[in-house]
Amino acid sequence: MDTLLSLHEISKNYGKIHAVDKLSMNIHKGQVFGILGPNGSGKTTTLSIVLDLIKADHGSFQWFGNVPSKETRKRIGSVIESPNFFPYLSAQKNLEIVAEIKDLSYDDIPTVLKMTGLYDRMNSKFRTFSFGMKQRLAVASALLGDPDVLILDEPTNGLDPQGIAQIREIILRVAGEGITIILASHLLDEVQKICSHVAVLNKGKILFDGEVSEVLAEADCIEVSADNLELLGKVMSEYPQCKSIAKSNDKLLLYFKTLVKPQEINQFLFSKGITVSHLMERKRSLEKHFLELLAQES
Amino acid sequence: MMKLLRIELKKILTYKIFWVLTGLYFVFLALGIILGEHIINNWVDSINRHIPLPLPHVTLYFFPDVWQNITFFAGIRYFLIFPAIIIIILITNEFTYKTIRQNVINGMSKVDIQLSKLQIILCFSVIITTIIGIVALILGISNTDSAGMHLMLTKLLFLPAFFLEIFTFLIMAYFCAFLLKHTGLAIGFFTLYVIIIEPVLYFLLKIPGLQPNNVSQYLPVNSVIRIVEYPAISSLQRIMGITLQDHISLLHCGITVGYSALFLGVTFVVMRRRDL
Repeated sequence: MDTLLSLHEISKNYGKIHAVDKLSMNIHKGQVFGILGPNGSGKTTTLSIVLDLIKADHGSFQWFGNVPSKETRKRIGSVIESPNFFPYLSAQKNLEIVAEIKDLSYDDIPTVLKMTGLYDRMNSKFRTFSFGMKQRLAVASALLGDPDVLILDEPTNGLDPQGIAQIREIILRVAGEGITIILASHLLDEVQKICSHVAVLNKGKILFDGEVSEVLAEADCIEVSADNLELLGKVMSEYPQCKSIAKSNDKLLLYFKTLVKPQEINQFLFSKGITVSHLMERKRSLEKHFLELLAQES
Repeated sequence: MMKLLRIELKKILTYKIFWVLTGLYFVFLALGIILGEHIINNWVDSINRHIPLPLPHVTLYFFPDVWQNITFFAGIRYFLIFPAIIIIILITNEFTYKTIRQNVINGMSKVDIQLSKLQIILCFSVIITTIIGIVALILGISNTDSAGMHLMLTKLLFLPAFFLEIFTFLIMAYFCAFLLKHTGLAIGFFTLYVIIIEPVLYFLLKIPGLQPNNVSQYLPVNSVIRIVEYPAISSLQRIMGITLQDHISLLHCGITVGYSALFLGVTFVVMRRRDL
């Protein structure tokens, strides 16, 4: 797979605080890559470093396998924190400035304005826009000229539910076109819904790095219940893969050494003469995983 | 290079505050040029009341003195401060609206940003100098009798000298804007420095045992406005026996160029080190 962005031991300190601490990671072409972490975990700092807004104290990074320059930045569309435009200029004029900087023609401007639902307001001044519209204009500007990669930093922050839905819909549509997306967020739900890969960040370090489906696929435990709980527990303890059994109200929580499917348990118990009254696979949610990872750290 | 200028013009051409301030500048400048002559002639009138032989009224705007006189008036710090404030607003806006970040993200370098503002300063200085030149030409032609016309271009060098004056003054504004980033703070400090702090410094440096005009004249604003010296009022000078400098101060031109280089260099270093 083509590496799009690679970071090598990037560090940035603000006084004694390690905003980013020896961070290394690779993002590949075609991924929808989520950077997940609580506020202050170093997400924005990391993105600011790879966009040359902030100088890293140590480490290096490469875009498209090259040393970063202003030319590489022209192939990246970014929305970092707040939408930044001239309030007294129209949407159209603001995008013309972006097009000039990126060496693009103005032909794409109507397309991205339509895509973000701002075409009717193209001649309105930026300051007359609602926050949701401002954010959509930022996305429109990032989409100008078919960038190779889209960087979005908390793109739904501060938006109302409708605005959030609109932005997510745009992101998913763009992702569908095969454009690589890097999305920083503190919202698990957002990462879970949009991303294919995720890196969990805390205190400037990566705690976990992998596919979202991989994280989600792992069954955490199986809940089971029967009329005779005591017998059920005794029988289950004889099951070879069983790691531990915990009692929770009228249910037993079964943890396994390897991946075990509920139907296997059902079959096993039936063969032992026990009929279950409740059987449920409890998938480990990303949220739980996330909180576990954070808990391990502190 | 043309690309940077195109981007800057897009930001400026529909910016209302820019046009209001530019308009105000030219209105005040025109008033200054017209009133300048009146003020001197009023002063002549008040002297005439005390002396038996009345002095003649002066005309400032005939060839070749019009070049020196008009560039002197336009170079007064209270007039120069207008374009300087405009430049400060144009630069600090980039920080206020965070568009400087966005421009870097989109593919400009920090040097590009500085170059684009320098281009605006250059254009602005050229335009103002050209307008002053045209006004001087019109005033000169309408105030000079045919006998004096052959002297028309002898003092033309004051025009490029004025260009250097305004260009450097705007570089100081540029330096102040990039350094302080906040519009109010930058305008406040710059105005305070130009109108109060430096004149006070100038005065203080002259007092204690130092030879007059020795160190104080090398202060930045003072160096700039000294390029073009006091107006040439030849008729008055002849009668009153005053000799006024009627040439361009090359020393101050040199110092001014030095200051420009210094301010540009410091801005470059600060911007390179600073995170956006």
